[in-house]
Amino acid sequence: MKFKHILLALTIASAALTGCKKQWLDINTNPNQLPVAVPSYVFTGAVNRTAGFIEPNELGSYWSAQWTQSNTYIISGSQFQYIFNNTNFNYWDTWYDILNDFQFVIDNADSLQQPYIKGPARVMKAMIFQQLVDVYGNIPYTQALKAIGNLSPKFDPQQAVYEDLIKVLDTAITDLRANAFVSGSQATDIVFKGVVASWIKFANSLKMRILIRQSKVAGKSAYIIAEINKAAATAEGFLTAGLDVTSNPGYVSSTGKTNPIYDRWGYAASGATQALGRYPRPTTFLFDKLKATNDTFRLKRLFYPSGGEGPTAGTGTKAEVVSNYVAVPYGASSGYLSQNTSPLGPALIVRGQFNSSVVVMTAAESFFLLAEAKQLYGGSVTLAGTAQSYYEQGVRESFRLSGTASLAATALLTSGIDLADWAASPNKLNAIWMQKWLALVNFGGFEAWAEFRRTNYPVIPKSAAAATNAKLPLRLFYPQTEESSNGVNVKEQGAIDVFSTKIFWDVD
Amino acid sequence: MLVCLCSLTFGQTRAISGQIKDEAGVPIAYATVKIRNSSTGASADAEGKYSINAKSGDVLVFSAIGYNILEAPVGSTSSIDPSLKKMEGLIDEVIVTAQGIKRRPRELGYSVARITNDDITVGRSPQLAQSLSGKVSGLAVFNVNNSVDPAVKIVLRGYRSMTGNNDALVVIDGLPMPPGSSTMLNLLNPNDIESVSVLKGGQAATLYGSDGVNGALVITTKRGTKGKARVTYSNATNIEQVSFLPDYQDQFGSGSHYAVGFGAAGYKTDYLARMKDNWRSYENQQFGDRFDGSLRPAGRLLQDGTYYELPYSAVEGERRRIWNTGVTTNNQLSVSGGNETSTFYLSLENNLANGVVPEDKSRRTGVRLAATTEAGRLKAGFNLAYVQASYDRTTFDFYNETINQAAHIPLSKLRDWKTNKFASPDAYYNDYFTNPYFRLDNDRQNYGDANFQGNVELNYKVAEWLNLYNKLGIVNNTRIRKNTVGKYTYTPYAKTGAKVPPAYDQADGSGITRTVTDLAGSVYDATEVENIVNNEFQIQANKDFGDFSTKGLVGFSLYDRRYKLVEVSSGSIVVPDIFNVANRTGELGGGEQITQYRKYGYYGDLLVGWKDLIFIHGSARFDGTSKFYKPSRERDLYTYPYYGADVSFNVTEILPAIKSNILNYAKVRAGYSKNVADNIPIYGLDRIYPNGAGFPYGNTVGISVGDLLPAPDLRPEKVGSFEVGTEMQLLNNRINVDFTWYTQKTTDAVVTARIPNSTGFSNLLLNVGETKNWGYELDIRGQVIRSENFNWELSARYSYNDNKVIEIFPGVNEFQSSGYSYAGSYVIKDNSFPRIKAIGYVRDPATNRVIVNKSNGYPLSSGPLKDLGRALPNKIAGWGTKLNYKSISLSANFEYRGGHVIYSDLGRQMTFTGSGGWTEDRTPHIFPNSAYDDGTGKFVPNNDVNIQEAEYTLWVDYYRNITENFTVPAWFIKLRDLNLSYNFSQKFLSKVKFIGDASVALYGRNLLTIVDSQNDFVDPEFSFTTGNGLGISNTAQTPPVRQYGINLNVTFK
Repeated sequence: MKFKHILLALTIASAALTGCKKQWLDINTNPNQLPVAVPSYVFTGAVNRTAGFIEPNELGSYWSAQWTQSNTYIISGSQFQYIFNNTNFNYWDTWYDILNDFQFVIDNADSLQQPYIKGPARVMKAMIFQQLVDVYGNIPYTQALKAIGNLSPKFDPQQAVYEDLIKVLDTAITDLRANAFVSGSQATDIVFKGVVASWIKFANSLKMRILIRQSKVAGKSAYIIAEINKAAATAEGFLTAGLDVTSNPGYVSSTGKTNPIYDRWGYAASGATQALGRYPRPTTFLFDKLKATNDTFRLKRLFYPSGGEGPTAGTGTKAEVVSNYVAVPYGASSGYLSQNTSPLGPALIVRGQFNSSVVVMTAAESFFLLAEAKQLYGGSVTLAGTAQSYYEQGVRESFRLSGTASLAATALLTSGIDLADWAASPNKLNAIWMQKWLALVNFGGFEAWAEFRRTNYPVIPKSAAAATNAKLPLRLFYPQTEESSNGVNVKEQGAIDVFSTKIFWDVD
Repeated sequence: MLVCLCSLTFGQTRAISGQIKDEAGVPIAYATVKIRNSSTGASADAEGKYSINAKSGDVLVFSAIGYNILEAPVGSTSSIDPSLKKMEGLIDEVIVTAQGIKRRPRELGYSVARITNDDITVGRSPQLAQSLSGKVSGLAVFNVNNSVDPAVKIVLRGYRSMTGNNDALVVIDGLPMPPGSSTMLNLLNPNDIESVSVLKGGQAATLYGSDGVNGALVITTKRGTKGKARVTYSNATNIEQVSFLPDYQDQFGSGSHYAVGFGAAGYKTDYLARMKDNWRSYENQQFGDRFDGSLRPAGRLLQDGTYYELPYSAVEGERRRIWNTGVTTNNQLSVSGGNETSTFYLSLENNLANGVVPEDKSRRTGVRLAATTEAGRLKAGFNLAYVQASYDRTTFDFYNETINQAAHIPLSKLRDWKTNKFASPDAYYNDYFTNPYFRLDNDRQNYGDANFQGNVELNYKVAEWLNLYNKLGIVNNTRIRKNTVGKYTYTPYAKTGAKVPPAYDQADGSGITRTVTDLAGSVYDATEVENIVNNEFQIQANKDFGDFSTKGLVGFSLYDRRYKLVEVSSGSIVVPDIFNVANRTGELGGGEQITQYRKYGYYGDLLVGWKDLIFIHGSARFDGTSKFYKPSRERDLYTYPYYGADVSFNVTEILPAIKSNILNYAKVRAGYSKNVADNIPIYGLDRIYPNGAGFPYGNTVGISVGDLLPAPDLRPEKVGSFEVGTEMQLLNNRINVDFTWYTQKTTDAVVTARIPNSTGFSNLLLNVGETKNWGYELDIRGQVIRSENFNWELSARYSYNDNKVIEIFPGVNEFQSSGYSYAGSYVIKDNSFPRIKAIGYVRDPATNRVIVNKSNGYPLSSGPLKDLGRALPNKIAGWGTKLNYKSISLSANFEYRGGHVIYSDLGRQMTFTGSGGWTEDRTPHIFPNSAYDDGTGKFVPNNDVNIQEAEYTLWVDYYRNITENFTVPAWFIKLRDLNLSYNFSQKFLSKVKFIGDASVALYGRNLLTIVDSQNDFVDPEFSFTTGNGLGISNTAQTPPVRQYGINLNVTFK
């Protein structure tokens, strides 16, 4: 009897104890997130994120005195008093995060039979790395993006990064030439819809951006000229008239899915006005420059009259006469309420146009780069046009992007006014720089700030909110996140003073 | 006929008397006698003589401090002279330990505390977790937020894991609950709880596998007791009030920085003139000029041409009046009973709570049924509970909204936003923060749980010494949630017509209109289902071999947890007040989340005793977990062993010579265990590629590479624990002392390390860290007075715990684990963790003076954040007292925690709004205790540089950003509970035939809270998360509350 019970017990026990198989644990595959990725999809996501990352452009617009803020909100201390530390303006993390996506594309495109996406990814990578150098100087580059392969990447000298980016773009062009987009894959390219030639033009224009930025660095001319000539020698050339670099995944009218600029400063998907639209306002400095050349066309396109957009989409509440356009003194912290000043204009935000594309780089900028190259190096560079022709095309392209008025552009170019009319401008570089600065309003704040640091022109004022003895910031701090996780390498860069530690190309 | 007669005699109550003596025949003074399962009782006199009314069939329970309990059935005689056996050890109560194993205290080689139902229900908290605060050494219950759905975090002996789970395992009737969730605890009816065993260390919880590494709360619910059915009804009604608010200023009204800025043309040098310029009728900030009692408009011109005119002076008491008085009513009915072979327990509960946040309410309605039966060798039982809970709360940050309202606004009069024209969102005075009462109504969340929990237990006695046991437990919780924001369309006048008072129309002749945005309305609907199945099979054997006794078991455990969330949402609705995603414009939002986790374990446990004096105990477990499983992984990466051993020496019995009147009993114990914790998130081995933000756009797909990088060789972390302790009884068994010292070392710690973004990833999950954790605990319980009518018991607890980060990973000395960019909690090498870091002042190291800018007097701030202290208390003390005088009893429990700091984001917000009392000095002044660089790099005391604009800029742009200002010592003393109860005498009750027992009690919880004088902000227990990031609070936690109420308990005959 007793024995029977024990036997029974042992039978049940052994059945239970041995019943477990390995398969029972085999449930550990994440059902919520993709465990693998296709490079082309990653490319699309990363391009969209690059275009949607508008903070650097916003800060650039403020720090190049194109925009300031209305006083409906408290004006930001960090932006206008120049009081900030390594926890402010952390663009680093986002940029490296995006770069990692492009690196993933570059690394996996071949093995996953999507070689056509390598070239575009390299172009994007070069563009972002340049931006990193432009605000941080020395950055992790050769040892960066290695995941677990290198957890504390060393920093590379900024100039070396710059030089390598030209090589990256060379490789990109080679890749692009060799691998056309296959049929059906064009949709993944939300920039040029699979037109390889356009990517090569973009790559060449980016080269110009990188090269001209170094124009004041001593001893660089020969290198710059040689590289420009290489780019000029390509069949595709540079961004042509009408060919801006823009991104559009097919924005839809749904929260979080509209054009990010429209969403931030314009309207919510529901059509409601966004409160943040009360922030950015033109500076009186900008208006003064526009008015100096009677450039009321762009003034009225880049901004709305005070009171903002009216019942008719794309036009102001108030009559579109210059007196109704109200700018704010740069950095003024009181007295300029949003209601009484001019918000961002129809060139950027029109109610209902939630699906307009985001501008990544303008054709106008490319022409101004060519104009400067020709002006600086003359016959040494094998660019077909003259400085004047490039300059005038740049101005026309800027007018086109702001609202297609070639007559107004012609009027400006023949106005006989300094800094507008090439012939009437005694200092050609100043004219190029001024018109480029204007062309970057609303479409390239980051670039405007970088170019100001290089050229010191136009001579932008200090923010009114800043202390009397304050200096203009010339760069950003290495972010606290990098400092706390890659401290040794950050420390090796020495003490950073954002008001005096200059980027290598910022020589005067 | 005979049956009839029997029942007659059974029902008859008569006096039973006798004398209570010890084994030697010496009378025991003031011993007590009780009738089992009733509250009828009596005390013996100094000679041990007693008398009590009882009937045949009753069982008398005799007890006296220091003696074993003796039970004697009432037979036909009317005299019982019991002889109580002197207790050799501690009170031989049975303690439930891991996996339901029952042990006597003398057998235990590790620290276990037992909390009984009486201790839990003394403060009548409807939540179990709160009622455990301060009652056990080593246990810290953090009341992270108080609301009608309170959040708690339960931690035993501090943190071990830098980024993983540190929460104590909660086991309800043998079923381990998912870590870190308050839901299951909030659904429990505290009255249903028989006892809670607190297994403080990993040693005690080895048998629970990796979940037990942080210690465990083993909750046992009530079973029926044999005997006649007892029906108990209880009602508790309590009210809840805000106990303290932050320090508010009452000197300045609405205003912001409107005066001409420093350095600009027209700048006014008189700060009073600037303050006048700063005043605005529509501001949320409170930087206007000083209150002067004059009649001023608030807000804008109303459509009817009037202004909301208010006296410009603070409305007294308004800051408090906006909070409600909460009311909670709890009704309980329970029935318990059984016969010789079966028992049952049935309870019903309804708990209704109205919170301090207006309109917040919750309800919990539950039923529990437990039954056991015996049939020969088989013993079977089940326990089922079904609870429905519903919560109706606002989703928006009411607290933050109210600090953005000036002190002269009679906010509580603006509740009726539908009919009061000044309260209507269309005309509400504040341009930036709308009427909080409107938001309360408009932004709601309704969610509720339908919770089914149960287990079936089978016991089969194979032989006298051999038992088969199986317990199957399940949990099924369905939570249904709907969050809504009402649609609201502003009037055209509100949008474009409402002008500010003429004096402030910016002199452009048009006046200004504010930008109000219509609310599109939104709806979010979600269903969450959680399913847990757990089965424990055990072969239990107990056998004595001569002087040796053995108790052993081997077991097998299977655990499966599934969770699924499906959600749909829309950010815009068409027809107002119809909250269904079908009634929307735009795309349908939503998502889905599924997790499944499985674990199996084999375990064994063996206790060997020698002469009931020395016990050696060992346990071991071998687990496999799905979290670390991949078909491609080596077996030893997902399976792992644990083991532990401990000894218990009952010293005074081994060496009777050391026994004296002073030392009555002593036991020493020691134990070591090696535990393992599978401390990674579910699916933590997988790299993920999430959709890019906004994707898909139609057919356009966009993916990004996830930022978290799991190391390829991830494995569970290891925790080695060692503890020694002693238990003693002193001074004629009047004082119990329990002391434990422990140390724990975690190696191979899983760390989610912040790695440089330049690697392409932001976080790396790997086994590399090492931490230490150590401390000691002391519990003292004493019988100060014991006499016939008066008993006084005191208890005190003290625990000290510290931890240290030995290694994070090479090259990394710290990382942020939680919080804000300007203040957060950090893990720092060679320090305790977590620690609070915040932006600090720059100080002269020689004098500690604050360095200010010589040109404008503003304080400078440190670039990198400064370490300001530990986030967890290292000292926790509890103090309890229990007084009994005849039928009246009074008890109280205090708790102290200290040694840590807390950062309050509320303080920062209140500095921005200018509502904080600390912003009151707005006259030009020198920054207190400051110095400046005299231009040569030397710091000189600042006696002459006034702050440039102390009426605004100092506070908003400087003081606010120096978050050190809002990081304060977090120590507190709380009167956790206080209970004064009265038991109605039997004499009185005998007049009411159907009542057997009745008591009434007045009680309170957190009646008293003392905090540091620098803490102007918040209850230091609060935190914005129930994760590891304690020590950071914000406006999402409402002010702390005190509760008091009345409780009535009736047992029916």
